[in-house]
Amino acid sequence: MIDALFSLETIYVLTGIVLLIFSFLTFRDRTNPHRLSSAVFWMVLGCIFGLGAVIPNWLTGILVLVLVVLDGAGRVERGRSYADLVIQGRHALRLRNRIFAPVLTIPLVTFAFAIGYRVVGADASRGALLGLGFGGIAAMLVALKVTQATTRELMHAGNQLNETMGTVNILPQLLAALGVIFTAAGVGNVIANVIQQVLPANNLFLLILANCIGMTLFTVVMGNSFAAFPVIATGVLVPLIIRPFGVHPAMAAIITLTAGSSGTLMTPMAANFNIVPAALLDLRDRYGVIKFQLPFAVAIWSFHVVLLWLLAR
Amino acid sequence: MPLSEFFKLSGIAIVIVGLAFRLRPTLVVVAAALVTGLASGLPLFSAAGKTGIVDMLGKGFADNRLMTLFIITLPAIGLAERYGLQQQSAVWIRRIHAATAGRLSALYQVFRVVVGALGLRLGGHASFVRPLILPMAIGATETDGVKPAEETIEKIKAATAASENYGNFYGQNLAPVQAGILLVYGVMMGLGYPVGLWDLVKYTVPVVAISLVLGFIQFALLDRGIRRDSKRAKCPKVTE
Repeated sequence: MIDALFSLETIYVLTGIVLLIFSFLTFRDRTNPHRLSSAVFWMVLGCIFGLGAVIPNWLTGILVLVLVVLDGAGRVERGRSYADLVIQGRHALRLRNRIFAPVLTIPLVTFAFAIGYRVVGADASRGALLGLGFGGIAAMLVALKVTQATTRELMHAGNQLNETMGTVNILPQLLAALGVIFTAAGVGNVIANVIQQVLPANNLFLLILANCIGMTLFTVVMGNSFAAFPVIATGVLVPLIIRPFGVHPAMAAIITLTAGSSGTLMTPMAANFNIVPAALLDLRDRYGVIKFQLPFAVAIWSFHVVLLWLLAR
Repeated sequence: MPLSEFFKLSGIAIVIVGLAFRLRPTLVVVAAALVTGLASGLPLFSAAGKTGIVDMLGKGFADNRLMTLFIITLPAIGLAERYGLQQQSAVWIRRIHAATAGRLSALYQVFRVVVGALGLRLGGHASFVRPLILPMAIGATETDGVKPAEETIEKIKAATAASENYGNFYGQNLAPVQAGILLVYGVMMGLGYPVGLWDLVKYTVPVVAISLVLGFIQFALLDRGIRRDSKRAKCPKVTE
């Protein structure tokens, strides 16, 4: 019983319920130009969350295709937002620092669970994930208490935020699934073979250099280090560095990911981080932010190569 | 290696071209998955003991639900935003006392790292940099009510935008529930090398430390540049 309550599946079901509520609110929102298809999108995602462990994989796969077709057809939209800065300012004056209580509840519960799991010798990763889930629920209660708002308003606010973030929220999950298929198809082996034709397999430094260059180049072209990571991890990092040299997987993986962040700092493809801000701040040079970031990006990239090499030896 | 092996790379080509041409990222990624699977002779659905592409897509998606778990935190965060979360954060940011634009950018970078380490998504160019940090930085550069030169303002704008990115990109990996960490966790698990979330956080620490050091150096150089510019503006004939 306790085990079932504190399982990831419980959290997934609760998240699924939240998504179904969002879906219902989106369906009722007449300011949304595509309220029906948008509602279907969030409903299908909610079903995958709630039932992902129960329904067969092929059915989940079809549901994922439904999500992607709806989004690809531009049928997932958001309603008009009701952000009223004057009212928000008035609330801020009244509530002051109490408004931080709900948002700080989330990390507090996350860390409490993680520490608790570590103390009893259980998996602290799992603890953190459970903590995030239960932290989200606890934060809802704290938010209601602090603001004296209704549950309806709570869910409305959540739905509005979710719609603002949009369908791109599921991208990491899709990228991970892409990684699974790359592995099954043997994409990694092809890349690894090509690199081995060029680089000596016993030269760890050159392989690390290739790993970091590949990660950064892919990020520069795609504008997204998250998309580059599954490719580099399956094609270079695991087959050529972690497996043959017995390098610490967590260390090598996370340093490879942030080596890609240098790519994000240098590329106009990462428009949200580099081009949009330049416009927002009225820079005359639209590449002004990238130019400023370039020396930093090169310096920290070199540090990544050296750090990875030192820790891998 | 037989040529047919290279067809397996078609998915990667699709991802690169699709994202470079700014097509819908979700569509691009799934198209790449389907094409890669078909090019390597996998069936669409499981048959004859071979796992199908759609089955793998479904399993991979369901197994990685943890990456989108943060949706459960959105009602509380959304409600807090409606009741003045941004405004009250602004009250705190205005309390930062920094004598120069460079020091302010450095402090804002630290603020973003702390926010990231708490696993929060609070910040951004639109909500903090443009309305708060930039005006404060320009204000710190004004001397005796004289606005800095246009060239100087350009540099300050770029620096404040960069400080948001520096703090955000590296700081977020200090929390075990942020998107980047969870992506690495899921992908490595799928590759048969399970890693701990806290191990990932641990190895982020040196990277965050160096990002702060490099940021501080760059922002200190910015301050030096601004001082030089303003001296030149005040007594232009001295340089001759």
